Amino acid sequence: MRVLDFLHSTVVLLRLALLSTVALLKPSTWRLALRNVGRNGRRTAVVLTGVSVGLGGMMLAMAVNYGMIFQMVESAIRTELGHVQVHGPGWEEQPGIEVRLPSDRIPSDLEQRAPGLRAWAPRVRGEGLVYSPRASVGVRVVGIDPAREASVTVLADSMTQGVFLDGERRKVLVGERLADRLKVDVGAKVVLSAQDVSGEMTGEAFRIAGFFRTASRELDESAVFLRLDEARRLFGLGDEVSEVVLVAHAESGSGPLRDWLAAQAPQAEVRTWKEIRPFLVQIIDMFEQTGWVVYAAIFVAMAFGIANVLLMSVMERTREIGILSAIGMPADRLVAMVLAEALVVTLGGVALGAALGFGGTALLSDGIDLSTWGEGLESFGIPTRIVPVLPAHQLGIPIVIAIVTAVVASLWPAIRAVRTRPAEAVRHV
Amino acid sequence: MLEATDVTKVYDTRGVETRALDGVSLRVDAGEFTALAGPSGSGKTTLLNLFGALDAPTAGQLRLDDQQLDQLSSAQLARLRLQQLGFIFQAYNLIPVLSARENVEFVMELQGVPAAERRERALAVLHEVGLGEIADKRPLEMSGGQQQRVAVARAIVSNPRVVLADEPTANLDSKTAAALLDLMEEMNREHGVTFLFSTHDPMVIEKARRVVRLRDGRVVSDEQREAESA
Ligand SMILES: Nc1ncnc2c1ncn2[C@@H]1O[C@H](COP(=O)(O)OP(=O)(O)O)[C@@H](O)[C@H]1O
Ligand SMILES: [Mg+2]
Repeated sequence: MRVLDFLHSTVVLLRLALLSTVALLKPSTWRLALRNVGRNGRRTAVVLTGVSVGLGGMMLAMAVNYGMIFQMVESAIRTELGHVQVHGPGWEEQPGIEVRLPSDRIPSDLEQRAPGLRAWAPRVRGEGLVYSPRASVGVRVVGIDPAREASVTVLADSMTQGVFLDGERRKVLVGERLADRLKVDVGAKVVLSAQDVSGEMTGEAFRIAGFFRTASRELDESAVFLRLDEARRLFGLGDEVSEVVLVAHAESGSGPLRDWLAAQAPQAEVRTWKEIRPFLVQIIDMFEQTGWVVYAAIFVAMAFGIANVLLMSVMERTREIGILSAIGMPADRLVAMVLAEALVVTLGGVALGAALGFGGTALLSDGIDLSTWGEGLESFGIPTRIVPVLPAHQLGIPIVIAIVTAVVASLWPAIRAVRTRPAEAVRHV
Repeated sequence: MLEATDVTKVYDTRGVETRALDGVSLRVDAGEFTALAGPSGSGKTTLLNLFGALDAPTAGQLRLDDQQLDQLSSAQLARLRLQQLGFIFQAYNLIPVLSARENVEFVMELQGVPAAERRERALAVLHEVGLGEIADKRPLEMSGGQQQRVAVARAIVSNPRVVLADEPTANLDSKTAAALLDLMEEMNREHGVTFLFSTHDPMVIEKARRVVRLRDGRVVSDEQREAESA
């Protein structure tokens, strides 16, 4: 019996909801709703402010968060990582100079053939020691093709002193932090020593062409860049490379590019940046999740505000709604009227809030400076200047939530209103 | 036409029972101009609300023509109120955000009357109640007497079977009250609108052609009178 009663009242409610939706399509519903909204200016202002500040704030929070994530990814990709990397078999387990790719396997027209590929660069990577007259530091030795590297990473644009690698022989680039540890200036002579592929110790003298400073503290502290051919000679390699770094036209092209390359070179290890740096992906996930907690908190506060004001606006008009019901206004039209009122103010608030969100993002387009907390953030690869970016693909979510909140928050008082016996309501003064 | 048979209404407010109506039987026929008289608390509002399908009795039956009210769904009752009944309450009858004309039109709009016809009929009836000049004013810009006249216009505009008026003059001064009663009487006489109105004002009772007196929820007298004006 209980179950039947429950089913029955559910059906009654659903029917009311359906009919109300139909009644919502009548222009007269909206005319009355608009006038009711206009009638209590203060209440309307409260809801408008609540919704617009809530939505605007949420959009800004989203933009900052997304901007941060976006820049974190961009920065990691453009500093060193690329979208996709190709290595010889075994690199993932044990990276080192022992794992190599024959470079004659790379077609010279790769850009034309690989889907979505924008640029690529070969690298030789090994470990070594760099000596200055005053210090010695263990480093990553990276051989690059200067022109190709410049098309893949921001290294060439990250020079703070001196010049990037050019045609000149026996030049190296070091990070500012490494230069500090070595206590050297641009132009100074350093010796690079390493173990070559046959296990022999080798060493060569270089001059420092310039210093760089990137978003990666690790790179700035421990990488030495030199020409590809000179790195090969140092490590005793032939026409081989340690890795090929590729960037797609957009991040979303990473997966397809990886799949295409893997099909071309079944023996090679082909991985996207996400696979190479799972930690970065975890940080991003964490940021996204924290973001949702913040958005949810803003929305719960907003929902309570809207519900409260709408509830009051219905309670205050108990008698009026009773009279409407007495003269024969059907329940569905009454519910539709209250819903329409809620939608009018909410949509107004959504429009204002969106303007606030877009406007705020535009105002902050120079970036928000976080460098006071800089050190800590930088070591996680988080940029210290955050340019908010509104994630277009997610903008619908807060807007839909705002509208759903308004509908749900107004449905309860509306149904309560039509459930009140008109005789009760009319007695109410 | 309108008929209550042995109707009892008991209100239960947190365990305290109030017997507002105690076995009331009453019939109102088409064309009547009848006052429901009695001191405050005698059950006038309760009886009008039952006739108007705004509430349900504890026991007994109510009918409008051949429709038995307790057998109708709430949607059917809403339709019955819309199509066959007119209501006038003591005060605050009107929708504050609508003008006099829009208030009158509202009922016809719910009935689905086309806009042009609605407008024409609303203006005609407002003229009839002497408010042609202020058709575009909103309730807050009108006097209490004018608001009650608009309520009369709204109640009669779609030719209901009966107009139920609960102390329509209670908030008016005696001169305005008399004028409102004259207006209702005129509508009754010229257009055959049936009125059942409650009051405890002897001057208003004076104008009725039939007076039903209630006391403690019972009918204590029911007297038919001569029409006072021809
Ligand atoms: N909703 C209600 N709840 C409880 N008691 C009520 C309610 N409505 C009316 N009453 C009581 O019922 C009796 C009759 O009231 P009412 O019909 O309003 O009389 P009248 O209109 O003649 O003044 C009164 O004692 C009143 O207090
Ligand atoms: Mg009363």
